[in-house]
Amino acid sequence: MADTRDPIAFELFKNAIFSIADEMALTVFRTTYSGVLKDNMDYSTGFADANGKLVAQGLTLPGHLGSIPTALESIMRHFGDTMVEGDVFIMNDPFDGGMHLPDIFVFKPLYHAGERLAFAATVCHHTDVGGRVAGSNASDSTEIYAEGLRIPPLRLYEAGKRNETIMSFIEKNVRLPVKVFGDLRAQLAACHIAEKQFAELVARYGATTVKAYMVETIDYAERLTRAALLKLPDGQWTFEDWIDDDGVDYGKPIRLFVTLTKKGDHMLVDWTGTSPQVKGAINNTLSFTKAASYTGVRSVLPPGIPNNEGVFRAIEVVCPPGTVGNGVLPAACAARGLTGFRMTDCVFGALAMMLPDKVYAAGDGGNTGISIGGYHADRSPFIYVDFTCGAWGARPWADGLDGNSHMFANMASHSIEVTEAEHPIQLLAYEFVPDKAGAGKFRGGVPFRRDYKFLEEEGVLQVRSDRRTHRPFGLYGGSPGQPSANYMNPDGANELVPSKLTMTIRKGDVFRHVLAGAGGWGDPLERDPAKVLKDVRNELLSPAKARADYGVVVDTATWTVDAGASERLRGEIRRRRGWTTTPVVQWTDPAPVAQAAE
Amino acid sequence: MTVTYRVGVDIGGTFTDIVLLGSDGSIHTKKISSSVDNYARAIVEGLAEVFHETGVTGGDIEEIRHGTTVASNAILEHKGATTGLITTKGFRDVLEIRTLRMPRLYDIAWEKPAPLVERRLRRVVDERIAADGSVDRALDAADAEQAVDALLAEGVEAIAICLLNSYANPVHERMIADIVRRKAPDMPLSVSFEVLPEIKEYERTSTTVINAYVMPIVARYLRALRGGLDRAGVPARLLLMQSNGGLMTSEAATEKPMNIIESGPAGGVVGAQALARAKSMSGIITFDMGGTTAKAATVENGQVSRASEYSVGGGIMIGSRLLTGAGYLLKVPAIDLAEVGAGGGSLVWIDAGGSLQIGPESAGASPGPVCYDKGGENPTVTDANVVLGYINPGYLVGGAVKLNADKARAVFTEKVAGPLGLEVARAAHGAHLIAASNMIRAIRSVSTERGRDPRDFALFAFGGNGPLFACGMAESLGMTRVVVPPSPGLFSSFGLLYADVEHHYSRTFRRLTRKMDLAEVNSAWDALAGQARHQLEVEGFTGAAARVNRAASFHYQGQTFDLTVPVPDGPVDQAMLRHLEEAYGREHERTYGHRAGVEEPVELVSIQVVGQGLRTGGGVPDNVRPSRAEPDAPPPRRAYFGPDKGWIETPVVRRSDLATAMTGPLIVEEYDATCVVLPGWRASLDASRNIALDRG
Repeated sequence: MADTRDPIAFELFKNAIFSIADEMALTVFRTTYSGVLKDNMDYSTGFADANGKLVAQGLTLPGHLGSIPTALESIMRHFGDTMVEGDVFIMNDPFDGGMHLPDIFVFKPLYHAGERLAFAATVCHHTDVGGRVAGSNASDSTEIYAEGLRIPPLRLYEAGKRNETIMSFIEKNVRLPVKVFGDLRAQLAACHIAEKQFAELVARYGATTVKAYMVETIDYAERLTRAALLKLPDGQWTFEDWIDDDGVDYGKPIRLFVTLTKKGDHMLVDWTGTSPQVKGAINNTLSFTKAASYTGVRSVLPPGIPNNEGVFRAIEVVCPPGTVGNGVLPAACAARGLTGFRMTDCVFGALAMMLPDKVYAAGDGGNTGISIGGYHADRSPFIYVDFTCGAWGARPWADGLDGNSHMFANMASHSIEVTEAEHPIQLLAYEFVPDKAGAGKFRGGVPFRRDYKFLEEEGVLQVRSDRRTHRPFGLYGGSPGQPSANYMNPDGANELVPSKLTMTIRKGDVFRHVLAGAGGWGDPLERDPAKVLKDVRNELLSPAKARADYGVVVDTATWTVDAGASERLRGEIRRRRGWTTTPVVQWTDPAPVAQAAE
Repeated sequence: MTVTYRVGVDIGGTFTDIVLLGSDGSIHTKKISSSVDNYARAIVEGLAEVFHETGVTGGDIEEIRHGTTVASNAILEHKGATTGLITTKGFRDVLEIRTLRMPRLYDIAWEKPAPLVERRLRRVVDERIAADGSVDRALDAADAEQAVDALLAEGVEAIAICLLNSYANPVHERMIADIVRRKAPDMPLSVSFEVLPEIKEYERTSTTVINAYVMPIVARYLRALRGGLDRAGVPARLLLMQSNGGLMTSEAATEKPMNIIESGPAGGVVGAQALARAKSMSGIITFDMGGTTAKAATVENGQVSRASEYSVGGGIMIGSRLLTGAGYLLKVPAIDLAEVGAGGGSLVWIDAGGSLQIGPESAGASPGPVCYDKGGENPTVTDANVVLGYINPGYLVGGAVKLNADKARAVFTEKVAGPLGLEVARAAHGAHLIAASNMIRAIRSVSTERGRDPRDFALFAFGGNGPLFACGMAESLGMTRVVVPPSPGLFSSFGLLYADVEHHYSRTFRRLTRKMDLAEVNSAWDALAGQARHQLEVEGFTGAAARVNRAASFHYQGQTFDLTVPVPDGPVDQAMLRHLEEAYGREHERTYGHRAGVEEPVELVSIQVVGQGLRTGGGVPDNVRPSRAEPDAPPPRRAYFGPDKGWIETPVVRRSDLATAMTGPLIVEEYDATCVVLPGWRASLDASRNIALDRG
């Protein structure tokens, strides 16, 4: 009999089931063809109970937490009554449980003695699923129909037999079928491994106990989440942030607005007040908005809470349909990553109001997407997709990290040398840019720039960046980071180009992207002068900026701080800026204070 | 006949272990406190003590084999050389930006490890090599001179050079190296093409920098040790254990200290490998459990499984090996170890969800487990084992440490059993099982995660706590055989005695197998093999004593992870390429459960050569005899074996008692470890005095 109160047997079971989810994730990771998938960890694996409730999810991409249940709901709606052993399901339709078209879900129901006990689940971001722009990530499509192959929930395997019609349809509609099929193979292999190991679990514990423990695993996560929420203050906090534009209606800002209501052991994340859905392809599905909300809230909860349904029960997420956080047909959504990142930052903003000493200022805004695609002389296609981010907002106790992925996506950078070996692209720079980080008692993360030189005759460059007009905010006296920037041919015409663009490029063209600097935390005049000196010595901060922002005078001949001059300068700045209270959120630089005598 | 000795010396943070193995099979062991200020001193003094106790003299020593944490400590404590880095203009921050990834999700407090070379000591030069190796922009020599001068003016103690795409053409790196050698002939210098001629700039930069960073420290240490040995009248040559399980001379280690950084845990695995070969065991999983962590590795058909890179100070595995980004990346071959934070000192606690948890926090050496009576207040795994009757409170380290069993029971009652509503033995047993299940994750990550079924392997258990858990873990994994070597607690230093001299070389060589220029690949391989042979010759290995093996890494075109397969001797021709494609496909299927069709292009990624210097004097004798006498047979005691079996009056025996096979439950008590034999298992001794446990 299942005794779910046996804490020891339960812990052993929990260990086993999460190790299956991780093992699935490793299988996908190591055999994948897609760079997006591997380097961005843009995939997830999981385990759900017979009703599709998520029991365990492999630790890969925070941005996917919550996506598997939504997709499984749709599978259950379509096939709940007719499902049989040996079936495998495939889907990617954002308007029927999916997220955006490149994310293809594969599910396998797991049976024991004729009874469905669980689902093995995988979702992977594929290199290309067709559509008008290579990589299927275009940010300027205005309806889903332009974005690529839309796969409704379908049986890829019917009682163990593969449906070749589906495979041929996919093959003819994607640019790189070998890569897509290679990654589908990895997804199927992961499901197969899960099936095998789950069978061993059932053999050891018995079906009844396994079912009971899956329920208990969810309850356990709920208990942990609620216990942690209970320790946070009750109340209501709001935060507002803006995306510059959607790349179609240039210059029209998009509002993100969140209200956190924390009462007892429950948290409501309500996005009512967020802008209506937009023409450009940055509309979230609700599942993605949920993932963004969970990412923010989970980051202020203690570690060790399993990723499953139990978390979702304690953290409720609401976002009205037809908004940029919950798009409806025919919303384009291929590049919705941007909105996910920024909703995460928006939740962090609200959490910073709730827990001033626990949460960081705004980072660079999440990843910039850059894709370069086209055809070689022999008409074979190339697709280079790069996502990059790396500056963390300053924290109430430490500087923001320089060169570290955003919390929403634990991505890695592509190796430059591998990029150059495989694509007609040369990187001319990948380095920190000084004087861009937001000042503060703790400064924001330093952003970097990447310069891409194009080596093929002709190609299409597409860029999705943001934080150009709405800069990364600083907190509690900290300054905002400097805006992002894009340039064409920086060593030639050096033309400033929009944050979102699609354009033809030719051999020798150089595109430069500079990330936004991250926001600072606390009054810059309270920063330890030794830290200012260190940044100046490391050429992350100019001596002029050290004086203007921090009131610190550095002698660059001896590499020392002129303590007396610094003290006078700080006093001067303090008097002139005339703060009566420390500004809580800063979107723009404090008014410049005229240089005092040194 | 004179008895000569081989010496194994393993330095840990707390203890230095010395093992002497005589050509007649005699063994002398010595455990002394490490001299942290000068590790060499403890070795020399320890040897002097052994000489004094045994009458062995310096002249009787044939060879000293040494595993050391000197280099890894320098990295972990940031006490390496002040190092300068010269790199390509535009790429000054590759070292610091790393891969962007962090090892933890949802952690606002994450701190990136500080770069080993601060930005101001990273200088750029104007030059560019293209991906195909052509010179895109010639090196500006004046610029390079200036960069070197600037670093010298800053007083750097070592210089690393790593330029973009230098794996494809090292010409510019060589020019800069020449400038450094001209301006500062004695400057320790680490050049990426010489250190790691492989693609991926971050991996190569990080490895080249680590090599430079520890170079002066390792050189200084080896000089001091050599001097100490000479003064003590020990002229024997000194060999260093590498992270890959092979030995290298101290001269080679001085030049490429990056190879000896993770030498600590290697000894035990190599020892296990030698035993597996001697006993013709096709597969073993090593399980080494000490006070704070447990480590697992596999040996298949006599070969240790290796990883091509790892992180120094990357910390223990937290649930999954997917989460990378901790520590300092070092791309040199190393024994593939999975490590989890479970040891005797791991804390037992109850989380907010009411679940019993073990570690990863540890009570450490101080205050240690509650039963040590040194002020520990929180229950540990060792306390659980005392409550369960597995550990004899009067016989830890042969009775040198007395344990307070009552305190262990009291703390388990108060902090674990009470809150969970369980009786104390049940709670302690639960802690024991959960610790075992955490360690099983390490074993799974070196077996099932690579398509290996643990049931096809024997579990080889050592370390102070390994034999305590081995039987139960084997049972959970469906394994039917456990082997516990003699002196399990000292096995890591003992294992050093079994190793061979080894040098690993690899080079990026990306070519589709169907579009390969055979002459080119053969000449590239011959060049690597030539390097290996030359190095072996310098060290005195020639003819049959010098063996060169080849291997190659492949992937399906478009994949980024590779798998390595052995390459037979002889020239590479079309037939061999077909053979290698097939071998790769089979390995892919075995590891991941699937493979691509034959039409899918296979890409060669890197070529590898391992040069081995084989001992002429033969291996370790079979009849090893520890010098330490066994204690009197202890009385039986009550031990708890779970709710089904309950408390059982359990016989306690010495290793030698197993000359006659016995069945569990049984406790084998030794000076340095305790082995628990569960009911249903049969224990016996093999000819080499290994305890063999078989499930009946």
